[in-house]
Amino acid sequence: MEYFQSLRTRTGNLFLESLLVVALVIVLFPFMWIFVTSLKPPDLVAVPNVWIFEISGVNWRSVLLESNIPQNIFNSLIVGIVTVVIALAVGCPAAYSFSRFKSTAATRFSILAAEMMPPAIMILPIFLLLYQLSLIDTLWGVILAHLTFVIPVVTWFLIGFFDEVPRELEDQAMIDGCTHFQAFYKVILPVVRPGLAAAAIFGFVLSWNDMFYALILTGGESKTLPVAIAGFWTFRGVEMGKMAVAILIAIVPVLIVSFFVQKHLVRGLGGGAVKF
Amino acid sequence: MRKPDLPLQYRLMVPLAVVLLAVMAYPLVFSAWISLHDYRLTRLADVQFRGWDNYLGLIENQQFWTAITNTMTFVVGAVSMEFVLGFALALLLHRVRRFQNFYRAILLSPMFITPIAVGLMFRFLLNIQLGVVPHYLNKIGIHVDWFGVDLALFSLMLIDTWQWTPFMLLMLLAGLESLPKAPFEAARVDGASAWLIFRRITLPMMRPVILVALIIRGLDAFKVFEYVYAITRGGPGDSTETILFHIYKVGFRFFRMGEAASMAYVLIVITLIIVTTLYWSMNRR
Repeated sequence: MEYFQSLRTRTGNLFLESLLVVALVIVLFPFMWIFVTSLKPPDLVAVPNVWIFEISGVNWRSVLLESNIPQNIFNSLIVGIVTVVIALAVGCPAAYSFSRFKSTAATRFSILAAEMMPPAIMILPIFLLLYQLSLIDTLWGVILAHLTFVIPVVTWFLIGFFDEVPRELEDQAMIDGCTHFQAFYKVILPVVRPGLAAAAIFGFVLSWNDMFYALILTGGESKTLPVAIAGFWTFRGVEMGKMAVAILIAIVPVLIVSFFVQKHLVRGLGGGAVKF
Repeated sequence: MRKPDLPLQYRLMVPLAVVLLAVMAYPLVFSAWISLHDYRLTRLADVQFRGWDNYLGLIENQQFWTAITNTMTFVVGAVSMEFVLGFALALLLHRVRRFQNFYRAILLSPMFITPIAVGLMFRFLLNIQLGVVPHYLNKIGIHVDWFGVDLALFSLMLIDTWQWTPFMLLMLLAGLESLPKAPFEAARVDGASAWLIFRRITLPMMRPVILVALIIRGLDAFKVFEYVYAITRGGPGDSTETILFHIYKVGFRFFRMGEAASMAYVLIVITLIIVTTLYWSMNRR
């Protein structure tokens, strides 16, 4: 009897695992296909049923050496880093304040509401402002626009992390003679360093992935990577191979980084307002 | 020692408040102002006050309502598929302990990558001439044009599902793992079936997490733009013209910014109504 039961749960589990494997294949297939495409010689890129071919580095070489993509990568990096640094500088003290002092659910949710603002409402005035300042087609415009969604997310993220630091820690520091601000700065901040890193990475990924704002606010030399990728589609097979390379360049670093922040993500998204 | 004139609580918020006022409050107010004017980028010297005309004009604007309908269909379709699949996968991952971290890391990966890349990837994969998926579907006798008039919007929903089911999975799995064990053990001792346990214990206890996941994902799905831009540009006809894409077109292709701003404000109102209704209806019981 017991033998049958364990057999049943074991086959049951095998069945469940096979479902997971199906999901895994559905997730991985597009990545794999794009990778294979990037290695195909240009004349085979548009042929879907060729699996065995001589691996060619032509696509990679032409994207890395003969296109604007390296410049676009650099632009995206600059925008992401500057945006995240500003967001952390203003978001971190505020998040601490939200977490430690009496703040109603409403004030906390106003942060989330700011993130939910449709980009359509922001883009018109931002565009017009930059237009008047002649800052269209510069990275400053994109940074300004990205701050509108990176700041709320980073702040929201950090509230959750500060919530988990026991209050005794700064109480003790204040007994030892620190002011409250010093306690925050010297004792609490080092404790939440992993949270800061996770929030920074998450904010960076959001900025790196944005196309809507960048599409409207940049052009020519100042294009960010997603905008440049969007320009790759033409009906000539040759371009498809290059597009595959550009796509991989945009997603692989993010995928690698994401494995390190996944476990912090839930806590961050909860923002301290939703206890899981 | 001199007492600081502002409590620390507020001083810590000053930087955030200043920057948010600059980058958000100003655009919000300015947009509202634009939406009341005939504001065209091509005629900046001659901006006329129009009062509510832009808003009233939307009532009879067929394209605008098509875009709203398309977006609603997209949001409801995509988010329901994501919710069902995400919940199923979360329950699976919750049960299967072996390689759990490995499965989770892979299954979550689509949500981190830039939507424009996802759009182009699937445009390539599903393209009727070059795509690998139609090629093999043809072999088994299925001929579909994924981006034809009938299927285009649905295909965009599938793509959204591919990218964002992981988000549902992430939230719901976290929810499942934090549920207390006791009620489940008690029910099992009483001989309740798996389905009954799911209906009567899991679902009710998960309600807050489900609510948050649905709201966040729903609002995000409203902003769908990249797939449309990458694949269909609103076509064929206007079958995939979504609201954000429509606003982009009116504002930055036709430069009728007053009209675009009024649409953006209507969009905010619609999203607010939906969020409140959802919140209210799920909290009521």
